[in-house]
Amino acid sequence: MPDLDLTFVDRVVAEVGDGADAVIPILQRLQDHYRYLPQPALRRVCELTQITPAAITGVSGFYTQFRHHPVGQHVFQVCVGTACHVQGAELVREAAATELRLGEGEDTDSDGLFTVQTVACLGCCTLAPMVQIGDTAYGHLTRAKVPDVLRDYLARKDSQTHTPTAVPRARTRLDGEVRVGLGSCCIAQGADKVFAAVEHVLADNNLSACAKRVGCAGVCYDEPLLEVVPVHGPSRLYTHVQPEDVEAILLRHFQPRNVLRRLGHVGRHWLDQLLNGVDDADPPDLHADASCAEDVCAFLEPQRRLSTEHCGKINPTDLDEYLRTDGFVALRRCLESNDPAHIIAQITSSGLRGRGGAGFPTGIKWQKVREAAGDVRYVICNGDEGDPGAFMDRMILESVPYQVIEGMAIAALAVGAREGFFYIRAEYPLAVRRIREALDVCRQRGWLGDNILGSGFSLQLSVREGAGAFVCGEETALIASIEGRRGMPHLRPPYPAESGLWEKPTLINNVETFALVPWIIRHGPTAFAAYGTEKGKGTKVFALAGKVARGGLIEVPVGVTIRHVVEQIGGGVVGGRRFKAVQIGGPSGGCVPAELADTPIDYEPLARIGAIMGSGGMVVLDDSDCMVDIARYFLRFTQDQSCGKCTFGRVGTRRMLDILDRICSGQAQSGDLERLEQLSRHVCAGSLCGLGKTAPNPILSTLRYFRDEYEAHVQGRCPAGKCKELIAYKINDRCIGCTLCAQHCPVDAIPLTPYERHVINLDLCTRCDTCRQVCPVDAVYIE
Amino acid sequence: MVTMTIDGQPIQVPVGSTVLQAARALGIDVPTICYLEGYQASTSCLACLVKLEGTDRAVPACGTPAADGMRVSSETLDVHDLRRTALELILSDHVGDCIAPCVFACPAHMDAPQMLREIRSDDLRQAIATVKEDIALPAILGRVCPKPCEKGCRRQGADGPVEICDLKRYVADRDLASGDPYQPECKPDTGRRVAVIGSGPAGLAAAFHLRRDGHAVTVYEAREQPGGRLQADYSTDILPHETLEAEVGVIFRLGAELRTGTRIGQHVKFDDLRAQYDAVLVACGVVDRDEVRSWGLTVGARGIESRVGTYQTNVEGVFVAGTAMRGKGLVVRSVADGKEATEVISQYLAGQTIKPVQRAFSSRMGKIQADEMPEFLSRAADLPRVDATRDVVGEFQAREATDQAHRCMSCDCVAHGNCRLEHYAALYGADPAKYQDGRRAFAVVNRAGSVQYEPGKCINCELCIQVAARAKDALGLTFVGRGFDVRIGVPFNRTIDEGVGSLAAECVAVCPTGALYFSTPRLVQLGTPQNRR
Repeated sequence: MPDLDLTFVDRVVAEVGDGADAVIPILQRLQDHYRYLPQPALRRVCELTQITPAAITGVSGFYTQFRHHPVGQHVFQVCVGTACHVQGAELVREAAATELRLGEGEDTDSDGLFTVQTVACLGCCTLAPMVQIGDTAYGHLTRAKVPDVLRDYLARKDSQTHTPTAVPRARTRLDGEVRVGLGSCCIAQGADKVFAAVEHVLADNNLSACAKRVGCAGVCYDEPLLEVVPVHGPSRLYTHVQPEDVEAILLRHFQPRNVLRRLGHVGRHWLDQLLNGVDDADPPDLHADASCAEDVCAFLEPQRRLSTEHCGKINPTDLDEYLRTDGFVALRRCLESNDPAHIIAQITSSGLRGRGGAGFPTGIKWQKVREAAGDVRYVICNGDEGDPGAFMDRMILESVPYQVIEGMAIAALAVGAREGFFYIRAEYPLAVRRIREALDVCRQRGWLGDNILGSGFSLQLSVREGAGAFVCGEETALIASIEGRRGMPHLRPPYPAESGLWEKPTLINNVETFALVPWIIRHGPTAFAAYGTEKGKGTKVFALAGKVARGGLIEVPVGVTIRHVVEQIGGGVVGGRRFKAVQIGGPSGGCVPAELADTPIDYEPLARIGAIMGSGGMVVLDDSDCMVDIARYFLRFTQDQSCGKCTFGRVGTRRMLDILDRICSGQAQSGDLERLEQLSRHVCAGSLCGLGKTAPNPILSTLRYFRDEYEAHVQGRCPAGKCKELIAYKINDRCIGCTLCAQHCPVDAIPLTPYERHVINLDLCTRCDTCRQVCPVDAVYIE
Repeated sequence: MVTMTIDGQPIQVPVGSTVLQAARALGIDVPTICYLEGYQASTSCLACLVKLEGTDRAVPACGTPAADGMRVSSETLDVHDLRRTALELILSDHVGDCIAPCVFACPAHMDAPQMLREIRSDDLRQAIATVKEDIALPAILGRVCPKPCEKGCRRQGADGPVEICDLKRYVADRDLASGDPYQPECKPDTGRRVAVIGSGPAGLAAAFHLRRDGHAVTVYEAREQPGGRLQADYSTDILPHETLEAEVGVIFRLGAELRTGTRIGQHVKFDDLRAQYDAVLVACGVVDRDEVRSWGLTVGARGIESRVGTYQTNVEGVFVAGTAMRGKGLVVRSVADGKEATEVISQYLAGQTIKPVQRAFSSRMGKIQADEMPEFLSRAADLPRVDATRDVVGEFQAREATDQAHRCMSCDCVAHGNCRLEHYAALYGADPAKYQDGRRAFAVVNRAGSVQYEPGKCINCELCIQVAARAKDALGLTFVGRGFDVRIGVPFNRTIDEGVGSLAAECVAVCPTGALYFSTPRLVQLGTPQNRR
């Protein structure tokens, strides 16, 4: 290896700092630069900083983000979140490995071009299964599309088209604005190209409207979305917009200012009519628009948007627009009255409970931090949204960063903190970017920093990025991570409210909790408490995904039923399949069977049936989903994410997974179900932290409601046809001998026999499902 | 002071105490493995779980502060189940044998690795003491035993097992030849009297162990000479009279009385025996069914019936051992029976509830893989096996014996008998196999260095990390990896010695499971030249 240039290390240390807590930010910078963590660089860090060799070794080996071997030029990240899992993420990963000719245990191809990695969840669940390469996301993949994705990405890299930046033009008066949702998942669906097209069309035609980047509206299943909002008259929402549709859409609503151009358009229109005899300048697929809008109404109408009220409406980083939409009104009010007790009283009487999962009453938590001894206190916004199948926090951070900052500032004022941190997972680069940008703007404009608005109240906020560890969503592990240690939880008490960050009293709330605070202060606790139920006040945001017609981000009053969400908002299960269950709460939650769909979505009622409210992931499952496989999927996740500290978390989850692996592969031993059940209960009772205590929930709830499926597996059958070792692919006599299956089979398990019925060699077959997907006559079946 | 209750018992402890300290103040033995007084509690092994009454919460006693009004339950079935599961989970990922496989292969469970260590350090007096803990007749067994221990020896899978049996004979022969044969210390007289019927291997072994336990023993032998089947079944070529006499003589010098030519039922009535003694052990070899039935004993297909594991017959105070019970069996089995029956008889005589004799607790590594063998072999001398009976005409010379003892790979654990995991696993009846599903590979880190580390035995207690962090002259230790794979590592791939520096001894001392230990000095110049290949 050529000598490493270590001057970069010195530069990074000079920028980031030399305290023990700088270790993760330093490692992140080094990894960005060197594409891995070279040992000489780590040694140099220890020479320059207070970071010890033991600390840097322990930390760099704990977080999955850090690599000790060079990574390929491009990282092909396969999302293996819940929604992606049930839609075939593993097949996508296999396809990438096959295409790149990766050997067993290898993740980088021989040219060092691509590294294939799995990621717990990229939070784009409605695109499942999806992958992300660099900043580009590809959704709705199949095994067969993977080679094209790799080619497409390289082609894009080569052509690297420069997106035109909008030239700010002084306008006296606008007829309206054109909003394009630009959340991560919207971009993955091509919204960025649509936005570029809007800018082009507006400029080329000199239309009297402005293009506006807005956050995600949550209508993920219909993206890209374009909304035309005229100053006068009703706004109009277009779904599934392609860049080539943009001109026609915009010309419908706005008149070109240039007379010649206007004439040109009219003339062309007239000519079209004359020559073709049609009176239709709209692209054909826009006809579906009316019904789409109806569909969007069905999706949006039952929702009550409090924390997401501005999502999809305002430009996320435009402070002025935020201010125009009542932004910072709540903070200003709190600063003016400067009455922390009153703020806490309002939050308490609103009945707000923590939205991160545990549902602890927010007002009480604030009170405890306020009462804790000492002068120095911290606030932390927990944006380490790691549950596969959940993307509420990402969407809120990306769409309304100022709102979260405002909520956090109010909390800091209430508890007496002068410094705070956003802890955001590194898998959410856009969220990190937008929060950083918003913080900069706030500091410039006096909404953060010393003596805010002359009130005497000062607050410094900064961002710490996670480094790939689900367990850091646990508050004590999160604190350890900010302090620059391995993200290992410790026993509570002491709670962070008494002794948290650097052993000072610390308030940790989830993104959504903070995002609700300004609304509560502005509208009053009673207005908030008017939503929801006796014990669950207000609204809750859910990420609805899986086998549902309309997936996306929804906000509903606590207490609506599961059925209401799945059927009314989600439009029911797709593809003529039967609604089987909903997985609520991710790896800490449970599977609620369709029979119990009338259960209200509320803390205690869900707990009673073995699920949890959790952070808000909701994945709908149909009859093609194997519940044992689902339980195993979550166990594999928690087992992989366990910090490794306590016996139950470290070994217990592994042993539960061992048993599930045996059951799913037809190797179950007698007594395995009972052993699994007993071990699950003990892991619940004995684990040190919440990750371990809740890890068995997916098993316990599926054992409770779908025990017959477990028993079938023990007898060697997978009723849903999912578990590879228990199924066989076969071809029936509908086969027309078209050879498509044989051509697509990645392992040549199907001999090419034109015009004859094909036969699958089961010894070679890897159960990748490709043949079944490509067969034009549905002749491939699973036995 | 803080007042709380544990299992309903009130206790006052100073503010700042933990629940564990409160429990210990009450004399409750809450198991702890990762916790060590004087070090920061890592709350990781969770063997010390207690339940907070009125809630569903279980918390580690070691890290939970005692609080006023706290009500904790500790010694309940519920809590014990949880603790047992914690122990079983740790054991399911524990790569090591507390007790070596050869010890389990021996019916008498003689501690062969210990004996071999003592031979290696030329401490034959200690070696015979080790042997006689379990085997009362080593010189005899050294000549007649088919050596099941060697079948269990792990080196069998490489270049042949260690000569355990012949080395035991070597130890015993040297002892007898010393002119001052080893006499174990006997406990003070209990005042209890036991009659042993038969002076075969079972009866002799029982007499030896009963004397050690402090009981008065009378051995009744129908023939004129003691020895039973040892007299009858072996030619003097195999078992010379002198050896038999010498070893039997040692036993009776311990104070047992021998009455030869006395046949029970003929010279002494069985019922009279029962009346004169506090307990009777029937060890008379193959039984005359009708006769023992007439004594009131139940006879089955093999011999006199007994309750499983307790050597108790259907008649109060009458026990049975050896061939009388089994119908047939190895001599070493009978010797083992004599020892185990004594355990039970001593309990009976002390008026205790009789517990069946149980196999000692041990974590088991099981079969090793071919690629693990070199790791094992590197712990032992690279010398060929020398067969005493074939290669050196019946007897080892001292140097050969030491060399052969050096072939032992020390499969047992350095912490055996001094390991908190082993101790509490045995106490809680934990089943090491309950959750096992494959195991990680056996490995020893820093083999060439001073402090060695076996990741397979590490329970991630963090104690050595805490200690090494204080070493001014060292790199320190840290956890590496995440989740199931977390183990101890040294920064920048340096050696453990560089990680622990001058605090090596403390690191080794705090390790609760023998995962860290000092390497035994390697003897480079091993063996007589002609024995080297």
